[in-house]
Amino acid sequence: MMKRALGILACLLLAAPLAAEDRVRFGRDVLPILSENCFACHGPDESQRKADLRLDTREGTLTVLSLEKPAESELLARVLSTDDEVVMPPPASHKKRLTARQVETLRRWIEAGAPWGKHWAFERPVQVDPPKLAAHPIDAFVRARLAEEGLAPSARALRHTLARRVSFDLTGLPPSTSELDEFLKDDPNRAYGRLVDRLLASEHFGERLAMWWLDAARYSDTDGFQGDATRTNWPWRDWVVGAFNRNLPFDQFTIEQFAGDLLPNATPEQRLATCFHRNHMTNGEGGRDPEESRIDYVIDRVSTTGTLWLGLTLGCCQCHSHKYDPITQRDFYSLTAFFNSIDEDGKAANAAKPYLSYQSPLAARAVQEAQQLVDQRKPREAQARAAAEAPFADWLVARAAEVKDGFRAWHPLVNAELESIEGTQLSQAPDGTVQASGANPRQDDYRLAATVALSRVTGLKLEVLPHESHTGGGLSRGQSGEFILTDIKVQVRRRGSSQIRDLLVASAVADVSTEQKDARSYGDVKGVLDDDPRNGWTTKSHDPKQPHFAVFALAEPLELEADEKLVFELRHRSTDGDANIGRFRVSVTDQAGATVRSIDAPLLEQLAALSPLDVAELLRNSDSSRGATRLREKLFDQFLADHEPYQVEKAALDRATRQLSEVQNGAKKIDVMVLAERAEPRPTHVLMRGAWDKKGEVVPRDVPAAIAAWTTEEPRTREQLARWIVSRDNPLAARVIVNHFWQMLFGTGLVKTTEDFGLQGERPSHPELLDWLAVDFMEHGWDIKRLLKLIVTSETYQQSSSVSAALLARDPENRLLARGSRYRLPSWMLRDAALKSSGLLNPALGGPPVRPYQPDGVWEEMFMGRFKYEPSEGAAQHRRTVYAFWRRAIAPTFLFDSAQRRVCEVRPSRTNTPLQALTLLNDANYLAAARALAGHALQAGTDPATRLTEITRRVVSRPPTPREAVILERELDRALIHYRTHPADARKFLSQTNYQRTEQTQPDAEVAAYTLVASLVLNLDEALNHE
Amino acid sequence: MWNLSLGWIGEPKMKFEDLTPACAQAAQEITRRHFLGHGAGLSIGAAALAQLLARTSLAGDATNDSSAVGLPHFAARAKRVIFLTQSGGPSQIELYDEKPGLREWAGKELPDSVRQGQRLTTMTASQKQLVMPSRARFRRCGDSGATVGEWLPHLAKVADELCFIKSMHTDQINHAPAMTQFLTGNQIPGKPSIGTWVSYGLGSENRNLPDYLVMISKMQRPSDQPLYDHYWGSGFLPSRYQGVKLRNAREPVLYLRDPDGVPRELRRGMLDGLAELNQQHLAETGDPEIATRIRQYEMSYRMQTSVPELIDLSDETDATFQLYGPDSRRPGSYAANCILARRLAERDVRFIQLFHPDWDHHSRLPSWCTARCRDVDQPTAALITDLKQRGLLNDTLVIWGGEFGRGVAGQGQWDTPEAGRDHHPRCFTMWLAGGGVKPGLTYGSTDDFSYNTAENPVHVRDLHATVLHLLGIDHERLTHRFQGLDFKLTGVEPARVVRELFA
Repeated sequence: MMKRALGILACLLLAAPLAAEDRVRFGRDVLPILSENCFACHGPDESQRKADLRLDTREGTLTVLSLEKPAESELLARVLSTDDEVVMPPPASHKKRLTARQVETLRRWIEAGAPWGKHWAFERPVQVDPPKLAAHPIDAFVRARLAEEGLAPSARALRHTLARRVSFDLTGLPPSTSELDEFLKDDPNRAYGRLVDRLLASEHFGERLAMWWLDAARYSDTDGFQGDATRTNWPWRDWVVGAFNRNLPFDQFTIEQFAGDLLPNATPEQRLATCFHRNHMTNGEGGRDPEESRIDYVIDRVSTTGTLWLGLTLGCCQCHSHKYDPITQRDFYSLTAFFNSIDEDGKAANAAKPYLSYQSPLAARAVQEAQQLVDQRKPREAQARAAAEAPFADWLVARAAEVKDGFRAWHPLVNAELESIEGTQLSQAPDGTVQASGANPRQDDYRLAATVALSRVTGLKLEVLPHESHTGGGLSRGQSGEFILTDIKVQVRRRGSSQIRDLLVASAVADVSTEQKDARSYGDVKGVLDDDPRNGWTTKSHDPKQPHFAVFALAEPLELEADEKLVFELRHRSTDGDANIGRFRVSVTDQAGATVRSIDAPLLEQLAALSPLDVAELLRNSDSSRGATRLREKLFDQFLADHEPYQVEKAALDRATRQLSEVQNGAKKIDVMVLAERAEPRPTHVLMRGAWDKKGEVVPRDVPAAIAAWTTEEPRTREQLARWIVSRDNPLAARVIVNHFWQMLFGTGLVKTTEDFGLQGERPSHPELLDWLAVDFMEHGWDIKRLLKLIVTSETYQQSSSVSAALLARDPENRLLARGSRYRLPSWMLRDAALKSSGLLNPALGGPPVRPYQPDGVWEEMFMGRFKYEPSEGAAQHRRTVYAFWRRAIAPTFLFDSAQRRVCEVRPSRTNTPLQALTLLNDANYLAAARALAGHALQAGTDPATRLTEITRRVVSRPPTPREAVILERELDRALIHYRTHPADARKFLSQTNYQRTEQTQPDAEVAAYTLVASLVLNLDEALNHE
Repeated sequence: MWNLSLGWIGEPKMKFEDLTPACAQAAQEITRRHFLGHGAGLSIGAAALAQLLARTSLAGDATNDSSAVGLPHFAARAKRVIFLTQSGGPSQIELYDEKPGLREWAGKELPDSVRQGQRLTTMTASQKQLVMPSRARFRRCGDSGATVGEWLPHLAKVADELCFIKSMHTDQINHAPAMTQFLTGNQIPGKPSIGTWVSYGLGSENRNLPDYLVMISKMQRPSDQPLYDHYWGSGFLPSRYQGVKLRNAREPVLYLRDPDGVPRELRRGMLDGLAELNQQHLAETGDPEIATRIRQYEMSYRMQTSVPELIDLSDETDATFQLYGPDSRRPGSYAANCILARRLAERDVRFIQLFHPDWDHHSRLPSWCTARCRDVDQPTAALITDLKQRGLLNDTLVIWGGEFGRGVAGQGQWDTPEAGRDHHPRCFTMWLAGGGVKPGLTYGSTDDFSYNTAENPVHVRDLHATVLHLLGIDHERLTHRFQGLDFKLTGVEPARVVRELFA
């Protein structure tokens, strides 16, 4: 059924030109046919031109037309031919034959004398008077079109829906319940206008628009590529927010970003603005020529300018003249000339000059906030430390008694299973010593597996021992008697289980090691932890007849089950080989702290060695300056290392301290990548096939004449380029930007292909409206807030988005605007909305980037541990997403369908996947919001109806309908029953909601149940959509 | 009543009765192919329809959109792909491309007539290009007599199953651009990956798992070449076709696990409540996207079972672990991922991609390269054997290779164990197996220095065209309209389907 309907619809499409009005229009009817079917070989790109024929000019086309006898035109003969050798487009192009309708269009056009014209977007926009159908010009144009289609506009949306829609559109946030109430109580005639004014005046307005601009500007906090080093360009992000908030006219906004540095008496903020053109990726990959990278950056700037301001796919011209639009490769490189003399050298990371040394006025607030958190946590840590004194004293007494008759921290692994990969024979003595004999391969791996008697294992010790059977009585049977251990592995194997578990080793220390000449040679014992055979531990240069040892601390204490064995693997895979350990012993300990992290004698062994007098003194904790007291302190540290209540507070303080130090760095003068001209301009070449080192002719700074001529006498600078872009003569910029805003408010632009206004782009759905708005925008000083207000106060914008099946079938994408637009909100807005509706939102503006919750390990696994993600702590966690740290190699995981920020992206992607469902259900950001919503619900009243209403109003700006309330109460009851009968589940669930527990007076079961229902409400389709 | 002028904004409405028979026939030809980009003249309408179609296919929920939509273009020889991606540039000179004559040239400068101005990376640009013969010995294997280096003893045993291409070449000399081209057809990030194109074109045969899954070997050493998510990204194609990375973590797919304390039955109830509420909203607003969302929440619920079941290897036999080698018991290892690849093939997942990093051996080739060989040799051979014994090799195409090869000149002091090799784009070796390729074939060759391709060069885009062909896809016809251009995996340069490889 569906398929049949589709077939019919498609047929209508094909048939459409047949029914077009009588007169054939070149721009609308003919040019698209020529462009799509002919230009690839007969268009502007001369390198691809076949038969020396061009059909993108009238002169060229006339050579294959016969105006006297249209039917005999070569053009028609070719498209109609049934001979594969003759027909156009040729079968090899994989283009389909022209349809009968298209041929008919061409024939009628030729009959009419083949009138020529320009593609619509290259003509200057002209304002025509709106039809007299409505007071508001937008409504007038839209209704005229609807009337032609025999359609009527929809009714106004419900008031709460409208408040919510316009709040999202202008601030990226839903209204709070009090903001909503204010609107609902206001005079109905003026309420909406006043709401719009409040939203436009809100500082969140700048943040909402900035998110659009940052995506287009490919803004990121890191370089991208292999190094993906951190950059500190975030003051530019704050400049963007500020510029939108103070309603900087868009033309000035453009000029400052292109050439703030060139303006007379340029302020630091104007120079900061030029960071726009430094937001491209930078590549510091070893082996890459910096000049190649520099050229990439120059090209990226032109492509970005093309996409964002001109709506043209200029990137196509890097390698060849445009196949469809009248832009030549020479035009492209003439544009690059404006950006080719930046004082840069193609380097990345912290060598990406030119920089502006800039101190952000917005960082001090973040420092204060971070300092407050440290101040809050410090006393808690101190308190926990003091509270640990008493249990420590008991522990110490117990230990002292325990070690009275001697103490051994290390327990050799005995009765081990031994194997070697390459054939060394290994045998173990009762004291755990393992001796190698027999074959002596160049490289070998030894594996030792044993049960452990201790209740837990915190670390391992490897002793490497000399033996008379070794070369020169040394440490190995290799030629030199020295050993090289390249890697170790610590694993757990369970009897009967198919899998083994790797244990993470946190540190390695050795009594001695060889001094290393560089990072990739043998010496330091840390080299055995990285799985890299090019480094590792050796004691060469120390006496090979002496035993040596290394100590490895496990990252987490290990508790082995009865049927589990500990596996220790020694890998000898050095480049030269012949250095396998000859004799060794592996021991384990259960002692925490210094025992496994230093080469000092274990503290309890030191305690055991003390005289009874010293022990007594130690237990008394006298103020004596004798060594015993220092030992007491060390023992206290060892105790604390194992004392969970203290470790919790300590870790919290450490995280807060790290955060403080990070924002303190951000509050200093920092380097922001900006534009600055070098003294000596570089010549600019056309690059053959776009290859950076294939230089063609030299080109001057110039602009594509097909768009608009260069008219000023001023020198050809970036500033003048910007002025050309936003000049009244430029047919593109105002249309393109107005279209961006339309897309922001309706989900789809009047030109759907926001990035392409060229011949391959889609034509505007309402061309006269687009032009009217573009001219109006320019004539009113490129005033963004005015434009947005104009659009959102139209009745077209305020329509209900409900749709009948008939209208949906008629206009599935709502291009005719007979209803309000309904589409899923961008994922960043969903997170921000969850923060606001749950009351968690920290509304602060600007400052160093923050790190919202993200699952453990996603940075680490991509960079094999090189970068670690620590979520922000305290109030910094609940900042808006625009401030979230953006790592180019891996965008924040809680976002989906977001721009990748690698190149300029201007059209949102909107998909609907199961992974999105999982994110919204399980991501910590949303769980925290759900937990906070539960808190508000429980405070709102005592009966479930009131509480559920609180959640629903906060999330979807309206109370539940009676039918909805029934379902919500049912789900609440289900959850309550579960959590009351499974209190452990309630605790587990709540412990994962990251809620910073203050005083919780409600029972866990209630809180958990409301949290689950709040999560449900946050996942309602209505909560996720621009309604 | 058929008053349905869908989408075409510029035109007045049409009635069904007005359609001519020719037009009706034309409409029949509207297959998915049009929606994949050839409906250029249709622009708005086609896009609208494509979206509708996407919705219907989702609504269908078996998500098998291939049969309905004109793809495959012709009979497929393979139903799925396992792409064993070796990141960093494995050395063809040590692994596959035997050049006994190089011993004569040891330590001598590479003749300019061979080098032909080849660009070097800045790492070796200032260094003399002194020939370093292979550090590994070779043996001729099986009935086919294929040459495999001694560092890959297990692969040597299955060489008769493999189809070697010795004459691969690429345009890029640095890792990220080369890998990006290798996997997306273009050196600039942002184009869809080959796995995305395939799953987009052919759809899914498994209703409980994504069509395209990616696994990365867990290494302890920080790799010099991060594996960017754009390598399996969907570019401008819908994101539901992007590769889903199976992580080696408590949570194999991000956000897959419900929080502790939310048991299955409670989640089930909550999702039912959510669906009911969304159903009410659907009735009020009429937006079919809500129906899709309800289904996607259901799919997410199913994935919460199907993914953990997939990665749980406890039902594998000891014999299997023995086959894949000791490393296969270590979750996250390449060997364990090879077992998972076989399990995914059994579950009819369309595109399965493994990444094994750290083949970038600029120094100490003998110790470093052998370490990587040890990681992949036995498990890769085991995968071939295992697929074959389970009857899966016939319709599974296995691909092994990296983004480029390595140069014949030694990097560093060539005659010491310290020496390594620099990147080399002009020739490298890959192999294919199963899925319609000729077993035991060695195709193409290089010159005496393994420096230039000699016979039958195969560019990366030729490989792409060939792989698509084996899956029943004409690479010229699988296109997508984006930013005004029809994009395809193989780009704008001509690409050749290497039919000589076909069984």
